[in-house]
Amino acid sequence: MSEPTNTGTPQVPETAAPEDTKRTPSDFLKSVLGRPAVVKLNSGIEYRGVLACLDGYLNIAMEQTQEFGLDGQLKATYGDCFIRGNNVLHISSQAKRKTGL
Amino acid sequence: MEEPLDLIRLSIDERVYVKCRGSRELRGKLHAYDQHLNMILGEVEETVTTTEIDEETDEEIVKKQTRKVGMLFVRGDIIVLVSPPLRTT
Amino acid sequence: MTGTLHSVDQYLNVKLLNVKVINPEKYPQLIALKNCFVRGSVVRYIQIPPEHVDTELLQDATRRENAPASSKK
Repeated sequence: MSEPTNTGTPQVPETAAPEDTKRTPSDFLKSVLGRPAVVKLNSGIEYRGVLACLDGYLNIAMEQTQEFGLDGQLKATYGDCFIRGNNVLHISSQAKRKTGL
Repeated sequence: MEEPLDLIRLSIDERVYVKCRGSRELRGKLHAYDQHLNMILGEVEETVTTTEIDEETDEEIVKKQTRKVGMLFVRGDIIVLVSPPLRTT
Repeated sequence: MTGTLHSVDQYLNVKLLNVKVINPEKYPQLIALKNCFVRGSVVRYIQIPPEHVDTELLQDATRRENAPASSKK
């Protein structure tokens, strides 16, 4: 409950400098929306597909998703899929290895 | 589609594929769900996949057991992935 | 793994009365059990007799509860 002291620095510094340096995780996620992404789960399974949408729990909806097992082999494909957020280890934007079916 | 759960809302009364923890898969008709992803599925087929290592040959033996359940409540926290039936795009 | 005949819940904890163990060969220690209380968090599935379920009601209720485009909470 302390007084807002000082200089009036905005809590979210928009002044931050060349766009890319001060980005929040959620800025990153927004930038991946609609793009190819790799989602890795705690179990080690990876999903590659187009990130359709996300929510605050990191629940994910993906399109044209390919599932890769621990050995890197393609295990399954899904037109649409929902991934429950608690299983998500990381989300990465690169779309390397666009393996065919 | 605004949030991921919309994908599931659109699958009500459709057959869905549900991937669970512990190498369990379910296929069934989605009757109900909530924000935790607790679900009620009808005409469910559960597949449990187990792998054993053959001690002599060192080969992996993959076993799939399936069973059918008429109506099933599934607790959301075991669910990993939900996929609606394939639609023709 | 599974019993029959239950009576209460909330938190998805479940009280089972007049328990029958479906798989007694596997769980002989549970044969003597009459009534029990199961903590919700350890439940994987609950099998329901389908004839007691009004699926249309469930579907409608679910659609209503998860009504689109309204971000409550």
